[in-house]
Amino acid sequence: MTMDLGQIIKEKAHELLASKKVECVLGYERATDGKTARPLFAYTPEETERFIFDETCVHGLAKFLLNWKDKSTAIVAKPCDVRSVNLLLQEKQLNRDKVFIMGVVCPGVAECSWDRVGPPQQRCNACPQHNPPVYDFLVGEPVPEKEPQNGVDPEVARIKAMTAAERRAFWNQQFDRCVRCYACRQACPGCYCTECFVDQVDPTWVGIRHSPADNHMWNTVRGFHLAGRCTQCGECQRVCPVNIPLMLVNDELTQEVGDKFAFQPGMDPSTLPPFATFKKDEHLGIG
Amino acid sequence: MAKFISKTDLLAWLEGLMKERTLAAPIKEEGVTRFAPVKKVADIVMDPGATDFSPKDWFFPPSETLFTVSKADGKTVITPRTMEKEAILFGLHPCDGLGVALMDLPFLAEPADASYAEKREKTTLVGLACRQSRPECFCTSLGSNPFDATYLDVLLIEAGGGYIVQSKTEKGQKLLASAKLTESNVETPAPPAVNTVPVEGLVAIAPHVFNDAFWTRLADRCIHCNMCAFVCPACYCFDIRDYVGKGGVVERVRSWESCQAAGFTKIAGGYTPRPTKAARLRQRFYHKFLYMPKQLGSIGCTGCGRCVRVCPVNIDIREIITTMQKIGAKVAVGAP
Ligand code: SF4
Ligand code: SF4
Ligand code: SF4
Ligand code: SF4
Ligand code: SF4
Repeated sequence: MTMDLGQIIKEKAHELLASKKVECVLGYERATDGKTARPLFAYTPEETERFIFDETCVHGLAKFLLNWKDKSTAIVAKPCDVRSVNLLLQEKQLNRDKVFIMGVVCPGVAECSWDRVGPPQQRCNACPQHNPPVYDFLVGEPVPEKEPQNGVDPEVARIKAMTAAERRAFWNQQFDRCVRCYACRQACPGCYCTECFVDQVDPTWVGIRHSPADNHMWNTVRGFHLAGRCTQCGECQRVCPVNIPLMLVNDELTQEVGDKFAFQPGMDPSTLPPFATFKKDEHLGIG
Repeated sequence: MAKFISKTDLLAWLEGLMKERTLAAPIKEEGVTRFAPVKKVADIVMDPGATDFSPKDWFFPPSETLFTVSKADGKTVITPRTMEKEAILFGLHPCDGLGVALMDLPFLAEPADASYAEKREKTTLVGLACRQSRPECFCTSLGSNPFDATYLDVLLIEAGGGYIVQSKTEKGQKLLASAKLTESNVETPAPPAVNTVPVEGLVAIAPHVFNDAFWTRLADRCIHCNMCAFVCPACYCFDIRDYVGKGGVVERVRSWESCQAAGFTKIAGGYTPRPTKAARLRQRFYHKFLYMPKQLGSIGCTGCGRCVRVCPVNIDIREIITTMQKIGAKVAVGAP
């Protein structure tokens, strides 16, 4: 299939802005390295000429919608990004009437960093969802979905097979590198608290010291706050400047929640995540 | 004739120095190259290309204890952190020499920061000239260059299967006393070409660009992840807090912080003087292009390109400088 997805996006974005159906279109344009992509916010029909779509469009744009809550906005969204939009809708952070989803039939994206386009992303190889689960406008022709690959990610399995002491040593070594920039949080569509626990001073949950205990506390609680909410967009790991394998934490928690609650985050705009609901007769062997 | 050292002799020299001094150099871990204490010289990345983090890690680390306060015999005892040994910071890029000089401006201004001053005093800077520039480099636009030895104690230029050795400082000469140097007629290679950015006149036009809508548009895509400031050799903001540990010992801890964080300027009562994304993003560039020149005497950027490389949404300081110049030029001629 050699459809020019970028061209379809340009035309639709032009129409949406020219007809004043939306005030802004979020998509991608070429970055200054001439190779990778960066987010583009188009406000005028003229700017839509700059839109592109290809395997370098890695960024999840859903979180940017939170900057635009009251303005009608169109968003170019890969299926995983649509799941993030759904998460924000489920959690009442967005008004569906204000969001126009340009869902892209996703060919998968590459490992990208400054001046470099690498091999296809691991998560794309395993992705069971190449057609956007929800959209207002479909970019591309629907493709047949592959059978979802069941079973645990081999790296997650490897870590789960460790003894508690080995696992602690593994994570200490990883978290030791953390520079506490909170880029992982800043990029995450699920991290939108007005005040993150890590920034709270009274009480102080985590110290500013980069000690093993403080780093562990930050990274573990970040993961847990996304349990059953993480849409596996991979943004946290992509932006981590010291390459901490944060997806291992997220994938394990996703698996746990999936097993216990038969729930996959962000597949539709209305089902509430398990931790946002409470039923009196709930037991599930955890309480 | 130039002073010359072979590759093997260089490593032998460093190994010898490590017996009495701490050696910090570019080390690669999990794909990230940072200046860190060296365990064995074989671990040093001799041609790092790009070091993802800057050498400020050594003088102003991500997190450090400045001093502890304890009680002994009814008296309060303050124990500052001190360096046991002298140190060598090896493998700086020439622009990083300028970076250290820029970092000196705030930290050594009276009253000098004791922790920083001690490390600076006891550390000798050994740089490696860049035989190649990268697309994001623009050091020559900021007064440095790929062979710049101005702020380094020793500069090594790779040539003829070894390194040409330059040193003008006393610290450098002292360190080189144990090196096996030879006289050589190896020719000094030409420095690589570097991309340029129109920095000239930037400080003068900056005030005219302050209120331009450009900043709001640019901040649309900034996720305020702090990384541009964390990797920057010239960004020096931090947070300080005290922690009470075992036995009532108080520890004063300093960790990196940056103007990109929403809580950075928050003050008692909850007021935030830089409440918008645009105000926060703009601060980083105004600090560099206006406030530092006015208050400390120099633009706060070395042209190392690290922030360009790290930014997850391609906010590119070179593009910003060019755009500021364009907007400034319009303001200057009074055009709309
Ligand atoms: S935790 Fe990571 S993968 Fe999950 S939604 Fe947040 S950014 Fe995406
Ligand atoms: S992005 Fe990486 S380094 Fe930054 S806080 Fe998150 S885990 Fe730590
Ligand atoms: S690195 Fe980029 S996204 Fe992060 S704070 Fe800096 S400019 Fe913003
Ligand atoms: S602002 Fe960017 S290019 Fe300039 S010194 Fe800092 S990291 Fe390097
Ligand atoms: S205010 Fe911003 S630009 Fe200036 S030193 Fe601090 S972090 Fe860097």
